[in-house]
Amino acid sequence: MTDKALPPAFRTALWRHVTEGAREGELRFQTCLQCGQVQYPPREVCGRCLADDLEWRPVEGMAKVLSKTRLHASLEPWFRDRLPVEVALVQLDEGPVAYVFAEQGVDVGNRVRVSARLDEADVAVLWASPR
Amino acid sequence: MARSMESFEGVALTTPVTIGYERTSSHSAHWFAGKALARLIEAAGIVKADVDGLAMSSFTLQPDTAVAMTAYLGLSPRWLEHVPMGGASGVVTLRRAARAIQAGDAEIVACIAADTNQPGAFKDLVADFSSFSRDAVYPYGAAGPNAVFAMITRCYMDQFGITREDFGRLCVAQRQNALANPHALLRKPMTLDDYLKARPVAEPLHLLDCVMPCAGAEAFLVMSTDRAKSLGLPHATVKSVVERHNAFPDDPVPTRGGWAMERERLYEQAGLGPKDMDFVETYDDYPVIALMQLEDLGFCKKGEGAAFLRETDLTVGGDLPHNTCGGQLSAGQAGAAGGYLGLVEAIRQLTGQAAGVAVDGARFGLVSGYGMVIYDRCLCTGAAILGRGEA
Repeated sequence: MTDKALPPAFRTALWRHVTEGAREGELRFQTCLQCGQVQYPPREVCGRCLADDLEWRPVEGMAKVLSKTRLHASLEPWFRDRLPVEVALVQLDEGPVAYVFAEQGVDVGNRVRVSARLDEADVAVLWASPR
Repeated sequence: MARSMESFEGVALTTPVTIGYERTSSHSAHWFAGKALARLIEAAGIVKADVDGLAMSSFTLQPDTAVAMTAYLGLSPRWLEHVPMGGASGVVTLRRAARAIQAGDAEIVACIAADTNQPGAFKDLVADFSSFSRDAVYPYGAAGPNAVFAMITRCYMDQFGITREDFGRLCVAQRQNALANPHALLRKPMTLDDYLKARPVAEPLHLLDCVMPCAGAEAFLVMSTDRAKSLGLPHATVKSVVERHNAFPDDPVPTRGGWAMERERLYEQAGLGPKDMDFVETYDDYPVIALMQLEDLGFCKKGEGAAFLRETDLTVGGDLPHNTCGGQLSAGQAGAAGGYLGLVEAIRQLTGQAAGVAVDGARFGLVSGYGMVIYDRCLCTGAAILGRGEA
């Protein structure tokens, strides 16, 4: 194989804010300056009050694990070479629910810390680590 | 008090049609739609020009929509609808088309869901299914809907004490129902042991929890009951239809759907309750979602699904015939046609045209839909109660 597989890098234009945050060691989510709502996934308007006055702000990343899966199949070669892959569904203290890669020791009901890290395609992905 | 919905009286659903299914196909979705339309016209004994309404649902028509299909199929309809609602397409389309008939906006509406499945195309569909998915789901293992529904399934099992055996009972009953359905791709008898021993895909989901993507089409006609009678077509009538989108958005994990919001309206308009249903067709992309519908539509209480599945025979001839043609878990999921499957089967059951086993003397059936996984759940829900029409 000549093409080295990379993680899927296709995102909306808004994702660059998360990637920039990861580069600077921060987890950044959108905060609505009108109503204070913290939202994820990214949008161009606030899903609560519809204002477009949104700022990318760092959040602490404390979260609770709602659910978890171990993947044994993937549509992408990058992941197929690394199966099984553990993914968790977490709710951040600020409210949003996110899919994250789960480090070893992350399980349902745990309190975890979520961070944004650059992957091999140089794009941010979210990870949960045990506290 | 909100104004109540107008009745759906005088609307007939006729000529249930299924094209395919094939695991993969080199044909386009357009071909499947064309075959379906030809079959509808032939079965109804009409000519193409009689079709003055068209509703289409498909994931694989790109770059086309229902608009292009009018030229492709040589139709000049005066009513046209594109319903991109996946697993809710059938119920939602039925509702739109029924209103068009009642309003006189069209006389005969062809409702068609058609999709092809070309090798490799499923990945492209999943990778860019929604903006939210592109940023925040697909990058986490690229497992498509399996990962999303694994999360919901795990939560359901933890919260309500449901086991894999319980889900297995539902799947085994559906396979039993599929054995006589010539359209089903999976017609091999299945035991609970087969279910439990299937390989893991996205734990706790295993292979037999997941539908098989395939190519095919489902279709029916909507017209007035008078027109159906004059054409001599056996037909089903519409007692009630509801839809609800993005229900309960603040539930962190969706263990209930829009049916729970709309159930009362659904049964009130029909003047019927869950006990009056002779069969139920739920949208079964995963067994947890079928169970969620049975709970939210009042066949058992929320959280009592485990006991319900242990006590209830869901096969045709059993306590509550459920997914009487085997559902998508046995037939395969032909894209948006999966959102028509239960509805087309219900029309068959209520018009004495069962492809597989008939539910004896069925008078009323409930069909529900669930479609479009945008982030962590499907956003479109709907349900309809249908009755047997008088000849």
